Amino acid sequence: MNAIDTRAVSHYLAGPARWTAAAAVPKGGLHHGFGGGGIILVILVLAALVFSVTRIRGRRHTAHDDDWGRRPPTAPLSPAEPPGTATPAGPPPHVTLSGAPAAAGSPAGPGPSDSFVTPRSPASPGAAANGDLSTAPGRTPRHAISFERPADGWAVETHGLTKRFGANVAVNGVELLVPRGVAFGYLGPNGAGKTTLIRTLLGLTRADGGTMSLLGIPVPAERKRAQARVGAIVDEPRFHPHLTGRDNLRLLAAARGGDARQRIGPSLERVGLSARADDKVSSYSMGMRQRLGVASCLLGDPELLVLDEPMNGLDPAGMHEMRAMIISLVDEGRTVVLSSHLLDEVERTCDAVAIVDRGRVVRQGPIDELTRGASAGSLQVDCADPARAAQLIDEAGIAAGTSLTDAGMTVTLPAGSSRELVADINRRLVDAGISVYGLQETRASLEEWFLSVTTRLGEHS
Amino acid sequence: MTSPAPAAEPLLSEGRSPALRGRTTVPRRLGAALPTWDLIATKHLELRKRRGLMITVAVMIIAPTVLVMGLRLGFHLFDPAHNGPAGDPGVFSALANLMAEFGFIVAAVVGAAAATTDLSDGMFRYLVITGRSRLALYLARIPAGLAILVPAVAVAFTMLCLVTAYEAVPQPTTVGMNNGVSIPANYDQAQLQTWVRQHPAAAGQAFQFGPGPGSGGSTKVGPGAPASYPGIATAFSDYTAAEDAQFNPAPNEMFKIGLWLELEIGIGFMVGLGLGSLTGQRTLSTILLIGLEIIVTPILARTAIPYFLDGQRLDVGVAMDQLRPAALGPASGGGGGPGGGLFFGGRGALGIPPMATWAMISVIVGWIVVWSVLGAWRMMTRDA
Repeated sequence: MNAIDTRAVSHYLAGPARWTAAAAVPKGGLHHGFGGGGIILVILVLAALVFSVTRIRGRRHTAHDDDWGRRPPTAPLSPAEPPGTATPAGPPPHVTLSGAPAAAGSPAGPGPSDSFVTPRSPASPGAAANGDLSTAPGRTPRHAISFERPADGWAVETHGLTKRFGANVAVNGVELLVPRGVAFGYLGPNGAGKTTLIRTLLGLTRADGGTMSLLGIPVPAERKRAQARVGAIVDEPRFHPHLTGRDNLRLLAAARGGDARQRIGPSLERVGLSARADDKVSSYSMGMRQRLGVASCLLGDPELLVLDEPMNGLDPAGMHEMRAMIISLVDEGRTVVLSSHLLDEVERTCDAVAIVDRGRVVRQGPIDELTRGASAGSLQVDCADPARAAQLIDEAGIAAGTSLTDAGMTVTLPAGSSRELVADINRRLVDAGISVYGLQETRASLEEWFLSVTTRLGEHS
Repeated sequence: MTSPAPAAEPLLSEGRSPALRGRTTVPRRLGAALPTWDLIATKHLELRKRRGLMITVAVMIIAPTVLVMGLRLGFHLFDPAHNGPAGDPGVFSALANLMAEFGFIVAAVVGAAAATTDLSDGMFRYLVITGRSRLALYLARIPAGLAILVPAVAVAFTMLCLVTAYEAVPQPTTVGMNNGVSIPANYDQAQLQTWVRQHPAAAGQAFQFGPGPGSGGSTKVGPGAPASYPGIATAFSDYTAAEDAQFNPAPNEMFKIGLWLELEIGIGFMVGLGLGSLTGQRTLSTILLIGLEIIVTPILARTAIPYFLDGQRLDVGVAMDQLRPAALGPASGGGGGPGGGLFFGGRGALGIPPMATWAMISVIVGWIVVWSVLGAWRMMTRDA
């Protein structure tokens, strides 16, 4: 059985845990041991905190999302689906994946300018262009997602897409809808058919069945028109090693035609490779090749970028840069489809996700909604009288269950519960005269959700 | 008061999402089957920057001529008493034939490389993703590769011709034949026949005439002989072969030889390109074509296999040897069919009867077309 290394994933997935501010300070703790030196110490600590916060706010919220808690989406999302209600094969195009009601009387949904919400920060838009990928403009990483059919078509749309290799069905009737202007994760374990789907979409191999379109353009009927607006990295970015990065781009620009040749310089600059552009690719690191791959994608000034495992072979710094670059590309209105088996990267980078397992798309939608509705979270309550608190919560019937632990009480939250429930529990305990020292909520991560819907670790199906 | 100049349009649509969404134009000629000049130039660049490939081209096409002629020039310069002038008909013939043999092999290597490097380096899929016609990608390789090979052969052959023409011994006025018999040069067949009538004894020593029809022994030569000898065609062939071996080729003959050499390497490249595209494997394609050039073609060309003569003639190497210009002696000095009547004045310097010009051209064109079509078809249908 091809198991996922959950330990490695968990290393990055510490879980979106957070401490609520209410009653988080131990009683009398701040008064203990304070003197003249203590005041100086507090001032120093506060100064350090202010300095740290200033620096962190100046950076992208990318690598440490979990430390800051999950930020709310920039546009209100619809209530979460209850577990198990998502259609395994994906809904038909007229059904909103998020569960939000479709615009009444407008089957095609709002026009592009209406539905294409661009919550992008205008701050320092040229930061990434200058090659400073680590200090890309500050923004929220989640882009507003509209799962209503755009007038000019989905970024990617497939219906019943099938690709076989002999008896092996690599892509099995895939129904996929990728909205425009978002980072979309195509997530699945190794061998799930991610790359095969991408190769089929891009015309690198023929489909055995189904229909597909890119940017609203049917393929393969009008593939060349579609491909002129698409950039892609498949498997891994590979180039002629004996040529320089610039020469490789010249080769691809010549094939692409149009203004592509004029975009070589800006593309190299955009990915921060201008200084090494005239070195042979054989001397490039994997991270530089990945960046050169993105530069090659940008030659066509694409609306849609398809990146297959772009984090492969990158060290943490390289991952951080790539993630920032992807988000900045989405900031510009491009759609990025990101294929990966790295749950953490998809969760940090993407706005929506499709889970593929054994050639089939088993779930798709915005990450926040999918994980929220996937499984129950829990609330660790550190309080004065855990037994009485548990009895109180049970009697109130607001939780799925309670249990006593050494650290206090654990409340099992019902699936689909909102954060208000945490506040409600806190309020009830305080009203009952039970001192609450701390509340720690644990939500289902993408990893847990992923494992719950895929069949690789146990036959969950 | 001047208004500020408008900012240049950004080349990447940074921060201009509406512009991105409204863009529907497709670069012109993206789907056209004919490659653009830029596509050819960049493919040529890709091949040209392969150092090993370029060294191979230089070593196998240019280096033999430079080395041999350089040594001969040097020897003659420092010791003219014992070393004659560098330009010699025999050396010219040997080097030109070597250029043909090595040129075909190198051309096959370059063709196979041009066909497979995009695949082996993983660039093919990225070229396909651009939306460019796969046929255009294939066709771009042809001028890109030939732009390397044709100049290389031209440079080497020009050097050979210059040395042969300007650093040569004086041209003789007679042709030396068997038993020390000399015959005036530049005879055509009728003039040779007249000379044979006038010099029956010398002709008998110079040529080995075969028995004529109805005669009991050797063909009768001399004043009483019939107007046409049954063996005169063979005698003329021997005469011209000796003449070619002893005389430097005239400039027009050198030009013909040069064209023949370019055609030889052109065929090698096209077949290598087609076979390489078909198999997708550079090494296999190269080995197969080397085997064709140095094993299969010599066998088919030197021995007439009963009931398989037409099959032998389907080999492009056999057809090209039939097309060999008259002024260029055979690679190994053997064989030889009747002279005249063939394209370029070729005389079929091989061990099998010559083939008709139309058949020869058909075989050569057929090889180019068939392999090109197969290669292009595979490239257009291959999973990238």
